[in-house]
Amino acid sequence: MSRVHTDLDELEKKLLDKPTTVGDVSRILTSVVDKLNAMKRKAAESIGDELDAARVTKRRTDHLREYDTKDQNLQTLWRKKRLDRILVEYFLRCGYYDTALKLAKHSRIEDLTNLDIFLVAKEVEESLSNHETAQCLAWCYDNKSKLRKLKSNLEFKLRQQEFIELVRKNKRLEAVGHARKYFVNLEDNQMFSVQKAMGLLAFPPETEVSSYKEMLDLSRWQLLVKEFRSENFKLYQLNNYSVFTVTLQAGLSSLKTPQCYHEDTKNADCPVCSQYLNDLASKLPFAHCSQSRLVCHMSGHPLNEHDHPMMLPNGYVYGENSLVKMATENSGKIMCPRTKQMFSLTDLEKVFVM
Amino acid sequence: MDSCSLVEKEIDKVLTKFSFVSDQTDRQLNELINYAEKLITDLAEAPEDEELSVAQSLMLTQYIKKAKDGSSKVAAEHRDLHGAVSKVGKAVDRNFTQDFGVVNKDGTFCGLDRPDLVNQVICQHFFRQGLLDIGETLIREAGVDIDVNSKEPFFEMNRILEALSKGDLQPALKWAQENRFKLRENHSSLEFKLHRLQFISLLHGGPQKQSEILQYARNFEPFAAQHEKDVQQLMGSLLYINTGIESSPYAYLLKPVQWADICDVYTRDACALLGLSVESPLTLSINAGCKALPALLNIKQVMQQRQCTDVWSNKDELPVEVNLGPEYRFHSIFACPILRQQSTDHNPPVRLICGHIISKEALFKLSNGNKVKCPYCPVEQSAADAKEVHF
Repeated sequence: MSRVHTDLDELEKKLLDKPTTVGDVSRILTSVVDKLNAMKRKAAESIGDELDAARVTKRRTDHLREYDTKDQNLQTLWRKKRLDRILVEYFLRCGYYDTALKLAKHSRIEDLTNLDIFLVAKEVEESLSNHETAQCLAWCYDNKSKLRKLKSNLEFKLRQQEFIELVRKNKRLEAVGHARKYFVNLEDNQMFSVQKAMGLLAFPPETEVSSYKEMLDLSRWQLLVKEFRSENFKLYQLNNYSVFTVTLQAGLSSLKTPQCYHEDTKNADCPVCSQYLNDLASKLPFAHCSQSRLVCHMSGHPLNEHDHPMMLPNGYVYGENSLVKMATENSGKIMCPRTKQMFSLTDLEKVFVM
Repeated sequence: MDSCSLVEKEIDKVLTKFSFVSDQTDRQLNELINYAEKLITDLAEAPEDEELSVAQSLMLTQYIKKAKDGSSKVAAEHRDLHGAVSKVGKAVDRNFTQDFGVVNKDGTFCGLDRPDLVNQVICQHFFRQGLLDIGETLIREAGVDIDVNSKEPFFEMNRILEALSKGDLQPALKWAQENRFKLRENHSSLEFKLHRLQFISLLHGGPQKQSEILQYARNFEPFAAQHEKDVQQLMGSLLYINTGIESSPYAYLLKPVQWADICDVYTRDACALLGLSVESPLTLSINAGCKALPALLNIKQVMQQRQCTDVWSNKDELPVEVNLGPEYRFHSIFACPILRQQSTDHNPPVRLICGHIISKEALFKLSNGNKVKCPYCPVEQSAADAKEVHF
């Protein structure tokens, strides 16, 4: 819009200082028209972008609303989509981009995930791992205003790394020129690191002197990758950890009981008793229960007034229904599944759990 | 759901406003452009070097003012839209929880073998679902070291399930015959059900297939003892083969629900045989986690407000009970009603003579010398008479 105004000002000026010719005026007017067209195009573009973003957001809220249904099957399907969504995000954060894309396509949840943000980030991270700063700098330029609001140090760190690379290749004069160009208008804490960097000029690349050796270390590139990643997340207001790990921890913790870690009380259906999750959950806190809830070891059904808990003489408790069923199939004899001892139906004693 | 509706309301407002402004912008700018182009064509009629007439310069000045106003107005309208956009952002922040990292217990998933374990679990989850190629991709990308033998049972299960869904019972029958002994141990009637379904599908063939059907019925022989009534019903249905079974009392046999059922029965039996759970452990854990998270976040908030955050990290148990519902109950839990604590190895439940169960520590606390009086009924006994119970 400002460009339109400058053109119009020019036209006004021309008119004021006579004599003006028709030709001049026509020329300026044509350029005014061009600028107006450009403005129209840009406005349409930016409005289009914002409308797209609004539509994506609307699709996501619609998806969330689908859960509000009484139909069990729909709920199960929704939960399956939720799991796939969470897994896709986990894969993207770990860098398993192919798997994420395949899963998103399979479940048709592409617009419910932030695939594009991560794919852009992937390119930048790859270039950083190859010791190139160009793409990352381009990214910084694209998101300049938001990064400035976040008070990000990323660009400065990139320039610093470029400086170090120049020193490594023994191009010291170029390094000084680079410093003159980019290390101006700095804040205090940045000044300090610049001083250290400058000191690096005095040492050869194979130096063993402590703090300068670290500066030349290639692992600084990995630090840059991490810094980029966290700035990227801050930009889009994503958290630093994935939903998947948090949810998994919460789930495992709330399912975890001491019985999951005893050989004879493991239940094949319980997730925490399963091989790998058992290992993972070992450091998590147990679930808190203030009320007794009993489950029959034989049938897996809860024990209550419909299926009374009964104790065998060896102290093991099972549900009455399962015990009676076993006795009828075995002519009145019951074998305790865990100790393999034989008893008869008359040996049962009732227990009362409050 | 209210949070969703609130956010949706703001989004709708944004959408309508933006469309409105977009139309406005287009219209206004088009107007200015058309006017300018008209002026250009007017001026083009006069030769290039001529001076402007007063009327023309007046028109031009007018146009300049109009153009400036118009373009500023468009820009201002566009800026105003940002108010609506930021309202959406605020609505989302207000209604949805942004930061739930407080529930994250550091160190659980760090460490050398941790990510690998997680990836193994996810791989198994994919194999169970039959998403074999996604599982393979994950193995490749994550470098998961998965035991090839552990994949095989899932592949086979998926093959059989696929055949079942297409109506082909042969692979399933073969598998059931191979594992007949183990299935019988588990009291599974899978093989009989498969034969039954095959019989029913043959019934569709009509009266021409009668002898074939009778021949097939011989397969019921090993199961006749246990499933007598079922066999009788199947044989009875043959009576109507000439007149059409659909109109007979045996019409229920032809219902397609039997097929959906058989897939379920097969999955359950196969998993029981392999010692696996029917439902993928990952699905169960994540669903449980999603149920548990709101409660945990709430308690964390309360704890932070009251500044007693160490309650979480020091204890071995979660600070709050999360009720997941009966389908997540896999183990017996005994909480002593007197001490309100879960039973442990050092504090097992014991049964008093009257049948009431309390924890061992509670027994000691209630003992007076060697005498114990049950807290629920007036039966007295000696402490040694209490028997340890196992659930």
